[in-house]
Amino acid sequence: MDYLFQQLINGLTLGGVYALVALGYTMVYGIIQLINFAHGEIFAAGGYLGVILLSYMASQGLMDSHPWFGLAFALILAMGYCAMLAMAVEKVAYKPLRQSSRLSVLLSALGMSIFLQNGLMLTQGVYDKAYPTEFTHGGFEWLGVRVSYMQIGILAVTALLLVLLNTLVFKTRIGKAMRATAQDKVMSALVGIHSDKVISTTFAIGAALAAAAGIMVGLYYGSVRYDMGFVPGIKAFAAAVLGGIGNITGAMIGGLIIGMVEILAAAYIPAGGEYKDVFAFVILIGVLYFMPTGIMGENVDDTRV
Amino acid sequence: MAHLCLTDVSVHFGGLQALTEVSFDLRPGEIVSLIGPNGAGKTTIFNVITGVYKISGGVVAYDGQTISGLRPHHILARGIARTFQNIRLFTAMTALENVMVARHCRTRSGVIGSVLRTGCQRAEERAVRERGMAALDFVGLAAHADAVAKNLPYGLQRRLEIARALGSDPTTILLDEPAAGLNPSESRELMEMIQRIAKTGVNVLLVEHDMSVVMNVSHRVVVLDHGVCICQGAPAEVRSNPAVIEAYLGSETD
Amino acid sequence: MSAKRVILTLVAMCLMAGTATAATLKIGSLSPLTGSYAADGNDIANGTRAAIAAIEKEGGIPGFDKIELFAEDSACDPRQAVAAANKLVNEKVVGVVGAYCSSATIPASETLAEADIPMLTPASTSEKVTERGLPYMFRVCGRDDDQSIAAMKFIKDVLKAKTIFIVDDKTTYSQGLADNVEKLANKEGLKVIAHDHVNQGDKDFSAVLTKIKDAKPDVLYMSLQNSASGALMLIQAKRAGVTAAIIGQDAVYHPQLMEIAKDAAEGMYLTFGYIDEETPSYKKFLAAYEKFGKPGAYSAYAYDAAYSLLSAIKAAKSTDPAKIKAELIKGDMQGASKKIKFQANGESGSNYIIRVVKDGKFANFWDPQTGKKY
Repeated sequence: MDYLFQQLINGLTLGGVYALVALGYTMVYGIIQLINFAHGEIFAAGGYLGVILLSYMASQGLMDSHPWFGLAFALILAMGYCAMLAMAVEKVAYKPLRQSSRLSVLLSALGMSIFLQNGLMLTQGVYDKAYPTEFTHGGFEWLGVRVSYMQIGILAVTALLLVLLNTLVFKTRIGKAMRATAQDKVMSALVGIHSDKVISTTFAIGAALAAAAGIMVGLYYGSVRYDMGFVPGIKAFAAAVLGGIGNITGAMIGGLIIGMVEILAAAYIPAGGEYKDVFAFVILIGVLYFMPTGIMGENVDDTRV
Repeated sequence: MAHLCLTDVSVHFGGLQALTEVSFDLRPGEIVSLIGPNGAGKTTIFNVITGVYKISGGVVAYDGQTISGLRPHHILARGIARTFQNIRLFTAMTALENVMVARHCRTRSGVIGSVLRTGCQRAEERAVRERGMAALDFVGLAAHADAVAKNLPYGLQRRLEIARALGSDPTTILLDEPAAGLNPSESRELMEMIQRIAKTGVNVLLVEHDMSVVMNVSHRVVVLDHGVCICQGAPAEVRSNPAVIEAYLGSETD
Repeated sequence: MSAKRVILTLVAMCLMAGTATAATLKIGSLSPLTGSYAADGNDIANGTRAAIAAIEKEGGIPGFDKIELFAEDSACDPRQAVAAANKLVNEKVVGVVGAYCSSATIPASETLAEADIPMLTPASTSEKVTERGLPYMFRVCGRDDDQSIAAMKFIKDVLKAKTIFIVDDKTTYSQGLADNVEKLANKEGLKVIAHDHVNQGDKDFSAVLTKIKDAKPDVLYMSLQNSASGALMLIQAKRAGVTAAIIGQDAVYHPQLMEIAKDAAEGMYLTFGYIDEETPSYKKFLAAYEKFGKPGAYSAYAYDAAYSLLSAIKAAKSTDPAKIKAELIKGDMQGASKKIKFQANGESGSNYIIRVVKDGKFANFWDPQTGKKY
C-alpha cells in the first residue's frame, strides 16, 4: 500500500510541474488560438535564471543564512523576467502577424522556439548546469512513504499559483477582460478592452507560471540544460489538449493525469519505464477519441482564457 | 453635454462605396434614429463611430475633438458605447460580469494588484460591482445578476446588452435594432427605457426597423439610402418626405 | 606598374597560395557537439585539439606547416553521423578521431571506409565497432564485454551481492552493456530482480527508483549513456532511500556527475579504463588540455587517438592509409590514457578497473586483474 502511495506522491509532483507548464499553452491558445511552441523554452529560461540567481546567492553565503528568502526571491525574479521575455516574444514574433493566417503564426512560434533554445545554448553552454541543491535533499518518512521537502515545496507552490491564477481569472477585472477577449475579440474591444494589452498579459502570466515550474524542476532534479524545455513542453502541451485546450481547469487536470499515468505505468507495468510515454499518449488518444474536445471540453466557454 | 458630429464621412471596402459623404449630428440630450432600407449603411455608421471601420474620407468628431482613427477601446473611453443587432454577449459569463467587463476602461488596477488583492484594488472591484448592479437595476435585471448570460431569455439578453453598454458610463449610446424580435409589450418597455436613458443625460443614436418605436421616441430622424443621407428632420417631416417614401417603396419591390 | 607586372604578381600570389594549401594537414573529429551528449562530445573535440597543439609544439609534421581540424557534429545520430562523415570525406581529411555513440560510429565508419580514411574511436565501446573487418578502424578505449566482465567480477568478489536490479536507457551502448551484465549475473547465480528501462532525456526516475527501494537489491547496475542523467538518478535514488550499491560505467565518468549530484554521488562505483595520472604522458596531456578546462571522461582517449594518428603520419612520412596503419600497429606508445599497442584488428586492449566517487572525485578502487584494492 505504501508503495502505491509513494508512487502517487511521485506522480503528483511530476503532474504538478506539467500542470504549471500546460497552463501557459492553454491560456495562450484560448486567447489567440496559437500553439505557442516557444513556451517550453520560456520554462527552460526560468530554470536557467534560477540556477544563475541561486548559485550567486549561494556563493555570497545567502543560501545558508536565509534559504527560504533566497528561494522566494529567485522564484519571483525569474517569474518576472520570463513574463517580460514572453511579452517581448509576443511583440516581436506574434503581434505583427495578428492579421495573418494561423499557419504563419505557428511557424513563427516554431522559429522562436528554435531561436530561444539556441540562444540558451550559446549563452549558457551545452553542458548541464548544476543547481546548488544541498538544501533540497531533506525529507521525512511517514507510514513508510518517503516525502521530500522538495516534493512538498513543489506541491505547495503549484497549489498556491493555481489558486492565485483562479482568483485572477475568475475574480478580477483583468481576468474578466481575458475571458471576454477569448470569447469575442471585436466585442471586447467595443466594451473598452485593449485586446493587445490583454493578450500581452496572458503571455506574461503563462510565462511566469512556466518560470516557476522551471526553477522547481531545476531544484528537484538538480540540474538544467538548454534543451530541457522540449520534452516537458510536449508533455504539457499534451496535458493541455487532454484537459481541453483553452480550458484552465482542464490544463490542471490534464497535467496531473499525464504525470500520474507516466509514473504508474513505470511503477506497475513490467519494464514499463520504457513505455511510460507511450501510455501517456495512448491515454491522450483514447480520451480524445471519446471526447474530441478534451476532458473539460464540454463547457469550453466557461473557463476559457 | 456631449455632441457627436459626422461631417462628409465616406467609407469604402475595396471598390464598394458603403457610405458617401454622410453628415449629421447628435446634439446633447437628443434621441436620433437612423433609418433606411437594408444595406443602406446604418450599421456601417455604428462601426465607423465606434472605430471598428476606418473611414476613407470626412471627420467624426466628439465634443469638438476628432475621434475617427482612434482604436475602439479609446473611443469607448471617450464615452460612446453600443449594442449589437445580433446579440453579442459574453455568453459564458454571468449578467453582472458582462456589465463589469464594460467598466474595464474606467478602472486602473494592474495584474500585480489584481493578484495581490491590494486594498485599493478591492475597493475598486467593489465600486465596479456596485455600478454594475446599478446598471442591471436600471434595465430591470437586478434579479438575474448571477445568471449566466446564455441562459437568459431572449428579451432579457437584449436588455443585458443595453445594461452592458450603460456599464461603461457612456455619454452617448448607440442602439442597433434593440426592438428586433421583441413582442409589442416588450417593445413598449424598451421605448420607455430609451426615454429614461435620455433623461439621465445620455444621448441616444438608434437604428431601428420598428417604425412605431422610431416615431414615438425620436427627436429627429436621419434617413439613409445606399450609403447616402437622403433626408433628416423631425419624425413627422421625414414621414411625409417623397424621397423617403420612394426609397422604402423601391426597396419593397426588390 | 604595367599591366604585365600586375598579372605576374597575381600569378605569383596564386602559386604561393597553392603551396600554402598543400602544406596543410587536414584531420577530422566526429562527436556529438550538440544534444544530450554534447559534454562528452566537446571533450573529444578538445582532446583532439590538444593533441594537435602538442604535436605542433614538438615541431609539427615535416612537410606540413599547419594541421587543420574539422570538428564535425555527429549528434549521436546515425544519419547525422553519416552526413558529417561525408563532409569529412569531401574535405579530404587523412584521418578521423571519433565518434562517440557506437550507434553513430558504426555507420560513419562505413562511409569513411569507402574513402579509405582511418578512423580511431576514443569512446565507442560496442564490440561491433571492430568486429566488422574494416581495415582502418581503430579503438583507443576498451570494449563493453570486457567492461561488463570487470563489473561482474567486482559485484561477486568484492560486494558479494546476491541480488541485482538493472536499469538502462536503451542506447546501443547502454543496453548492450546492461544485457551483458544480465547474462553474466545469471551465469554467476545472482538473482536479477528486474531489468528495467528508462528513456534518454528523462528527468524523472522516481517511479523506477521507488520500485528499486521496494525490491531492496544488493546492487543497482545503472547503465546510462549520459553523466547528467546519471547524476539525476543518483540524487533521486538518495531522496527515494535506495540503499543498494550503485555501479555505473564509463559513460557517466565525467566531472559533471559530481557537480550535479554532489554528495549524492559519494560511494558510487564505476568501471573505467585505468589511467595512470603520474606518467609524463598524462602530465603532457594535462598541460596541452589546460585551456579547455577539466578533462572529461574521453578527453585523454581523444588526445591519444589524435596523437597516435599524427605520430603515425609523421613516422610514415606519408598520408597513405596503408602506411599509416602499418605505423599504428608498429607503434607502442605510452599514451595519456594507457599504453597503446594496436592489434591488427584495430583493438588496443581494455584495462577496466573499478573506481569510486570519493570526496567529489573519482578514485581508483579495485583492480580486477590483481583482485586488489588500491
